[in-house]
Amino acid sequence: MKNYLYMLALALPAEIMADWEVNMPRGVTPTSEIAYDIHMLMFWITVVIGILVFGVMIYSIIYHRKSVGHQPAKFHESTKVEIIWTVIPFLILVVCAVPATKALIMMEDTSDAGITLKVTGYQWMWEYEYLEDGVNFFSKIDNESNRARRLNSGQNVNNVDNYLRNVDNVVVLPTDTKVRVLLTASDVIHAWWVPELGGKKDAIPGYVNELWINIKKPGVYRGACAELCGKDHGFMPIVVRAVPKMEYEKWVTLQKDNRVAETKGN
Amino acid sequence: MSANIHDIHDQHHHTPSGLMRWITTTNHKDIGSLYLWFSLLMFFIGGFMALIIRAELFEPGLQLVIPGFFNQMTTMHALIMIFGAVMPAFVGLANWQIPIMIGAPDMALPRLNNWSFWILPFAFTMLLSTLFFDSGGPAAGWTLYPPLSLQGGNSMPFVILSIHLLGISSILGAINVIATILNMRAPGMTLMKMPIFIWTWLITAFLLIAAMPVLAGAITMLLTDRFFGTSFFTASGGGDPVMFQHIFWFFGHPEVYILILPAFGIVSTIIPAFSRKKLFGYDSMVYATASIALLSFIVWAHHMFTVGMPLAGEIFFMLTTMLIAVPTGVKVFNWVATMWKGSMTFETPMLFALAFIILFTIGGFSGLMLAMTPADFQYHDTYFVVAHFHYVLVPGAVFAIIAAVYYWLPKWTGKMYSESLGKLHFWLTTIFVNVTFFPMHFVGLAGMPRRIPDYPVQFADFNAIASVGAFGFGLSQILFVYILYNTLKKDVTADDKVWDGAEGLEWTLSSPPPYHSFEKAPRVE
Amino acid sequence: MTNLKKTYLSISIIVIFMFSFSYMLVPLYDIFCEITGLNGKTNQEKIVGINEVNTDRFVTVKFTSTVAGSEPFNFNPMENEMIVEVGKIYTTSYILTNNTNSLKQITASPSVVPGRDAEYFKKIECFCFTQQQINGKETKELPLQFVIDEDLPLNTKTLILSYTMFNTTDQLGAK
Repeated sequence: MKNYLYMLALALPAEIMADWEVNMPRGVTPTSEIAYDIHMLMFWITVVIGILVFGVMIYSIIYHRKSVGHQPAKFHESTKVEIIWTVIPFLILVVCAVPATKALIMMEDTSDAGITLKVTGYQWMWEYEYLEDGVNFFSKIDNESNRARRLNSGQNVNNVDNYLRNVDNVVVLPTDTKVRVLLTASDVIHAWWVPELGGKKDAIPGYVNELWINIKKPGVYRGACAELCGKDHGFMPIVVRAVPKMEYEKWVTLQKDNRVAETKGN
Repeated sequence: MSANIHDIHDQHHHTPSGLMRWITTTNHKDIGSLYLWFSLLMFFIGGFMALIIRAELFEPGLQLVIPGFFNQMTTMHALIMIFGAVMPAFVGLANWQIPIMIGAPDMALPRLNNWSFWILPFAFTMLLSTLFFDSGGPAAGWTLYPPLSLQGGNSMPFVILSIHLLGISSILGAINVIATILNMRAPGMTLMKMPIFIWTWLITAFLLIAAMPVLAGAITMLLTDRFFGTSFFTASGGGDPVMFQHIFWFFGHPEVYILILPAFGIVSTIIPAFSRKKLFGYDSMVYATASIALLSFIVWAHHMFTVGMPLAGEIFFMLTTMLIAVPTGVKVFNWVATMWKGSMTFETPMLFALAFIILFTIGGFSGLMLAMTPADFQYHDTYFVVAHFHYVLVPGAVFAIIAAVYYWLPKWTGKMYSESLGKLHFWLTTIFVNVTFFPMHFVGLAGMPRRIPDYPVQFADFNAIASVGAFGFGLSQILFVYILYNTLKKDVTADDKVWDGAEGLEWTLSSPPPYHSFEKAPRVE
Repeated sequence: MTNLKKTYLSISIIVIFMFSFSYMLVPLYDIFCEITGLNGKTNQEKIVGINEVNTDRFVTVKFTSTVAGSEPFNFNPMENEMIVEVGKIYTTSYILTNNTNSLKQITASPSVVPGRDAEYFKKIECFCFTQQQINGKETKELPLQFVIDEDLPLNTKTLILSYTMFNTTDQLGAK
């Protein structure tokens, strides 16, 4: 039976499988992994509590009804029971709080970062600046999505490659490197979020926030602005391409060369 | 309505008839009815906006509205549903029920009562009229975060003024509730003998008078920032946009409990009545409600874990938020213990109350998950949050209101609603509410941010399901209106004690109750 | 009915108190920020009478800048990075160019990461203390003199100072 299901799953095109994604991605950074683990821990705890509470409730609904002739009992309080069900949930919460607090301490430790990426939110695009390497560029939604997204554009968005998830200039980051991400904004509050790289942080005008990521697996990771920032809030995607360090160095050199060429051209 | 019958008996009492009767009324039942009808109207207006949102989100790509208008719809939907539908419905229930449950003739401050209702239509007319402005209505979300809300068009001062009016109305309503409950209880009804619904409303009223003025302060600061050159929230003048979020949620979190505590009271009234057994752990229910209310003032920053708080702040707000699960859990356990070994029947109010327990608990579970800061960095501002707060507000607060209406409608009107239609309404509503909101958990976890008019195609299927559910839910509520109409035009009368398991002073009155509920205060025990 | 009046009065006092409380939250929030370094808010006051100390401890300070609202300004740090000795006074500057033809009022807002260390970043001289003016087409050097407090926690090795430049010319009631 299990094998059969497995084959069925393989037979379905990957596209269709992705459409029915029901859970948080585990992601490719230590922060996304710990967020996922705590998410799953809490999920299973609530499932168990839910089965117990709803189980008792449904049992009671089935057997303690008037139509089956059940007579009401007289009890209406029990200090012992009430203390028990105050203390037990409290203990469960203490158990949850420990790993969560540890995770937070780990997530907030931005020290010893290899490179610093500064992200500035604009209405409605992002600016990226590599502080150490002096590379900077703007990144906004790609033209194809941008045309198709218009009201009555007449285009079938299903035919657009990575509709609303593609940008003109991709952020390139090295893998296995602690990247300190600085977040700020030029106009209103935005939030930079790539689910597979871990949590989001707000980009607030006038102030700088920070988070860190350390990508373990090369690949292309997509995200979006996660704080309402005006009419085109839904149209400012983020694309991060994670590459091995060597390749990243080459990319940086190329960017610098391009920049020199550009200034000369002017 | 029915109160006219008693006017004949009340020779000394001359009420104007027709429209003037409703405008000048100081009677708690009339005002209660006004609140409830008004809330129903707002429920449909806010619901209509929700359907515009869901229609646009039915499939990827923009088909119906432009993004700016979409944002106005999400903003207005929230403001209308919170301040126009749920809060007035609870105040309406308080007006009808408090005097007849504590053995009083009327509310303590009847003229204030009239005023607090009649502010509402003006406030909402002003709020809704902003949609017809050239620059459109408010579009920065109901939370009005600056600097985005400061960018808004001409609608902003009108929106702020109408929120001020709503705040004044709520504060006046709360003052009246507190004054009535503290001063007008029947002799012998000590605080710990009050019906649980009265207790929850008393605590809610205190939350209202503590939280609404803070909202008033926050939006006044927004207004002066925009028009009078202050810079509370603009970094260029030394202000901080994040401070608005702190002040707003200092109001906002108690507000969440303002929307749910009276619902707890309703469910704690209905479950014992149809289990034919006294409420389990009355005292702990009261203490749980009070501790939820107190805790609500020290958890606000869990709405904004991503603003970049210091580590200690994140840990503190995570722990206090988790703590709220304890008293809330006590409530759920007590409800289940009340049902345990009871003699249950399943009339419409009971069905809604049972669905409330299950679905509200599911909303509570996702709330517990959201409390965990490391995971919240992923959940924050996604559809997971949308699913969470709709689970606690729709099958939570709204179901409780509907349950209360079915439960007390025969008392109010003296007429019995159609049980079979009520059950049909229940099943349609419950099925569609889950079809609408359950898939939102999935798209949220998979990475769909909230407040977006369009989305990548991978979220299409669940969004289509949610939209179908939303239309089903909306249409089912037309049946509710028909049931109300059908009940009112009937001439079958209801018994004074409509439900054999129900307890409380209201059931000692006639159905419908006399114009001045208790002319002579009853003696309790 | 005196009881009723008493209730009425005490509730009104709560309402008025809570309204003023929302305004009291403003200074409270500032104190809270200064203690916890929320938002990397740094002390806007000038530090006077600082004595240099030898610590032989070096940290990296990175400088970055943002122009608010896409104003036609060029605003960049003179140096992107400095290795500084904790306890010593250093001077650097930012360069601002006004690409328009008219006089502009400007204000800069500082922010330090990591936020918890913001209080150790002490400014002796800063263009962010006051509102400034810049003529059309002018390029101006904006000086900054700072010292890293010797109490800086040992595990902090990098500090980043960011300035956001605001054009406050048309802003109502700008400082």
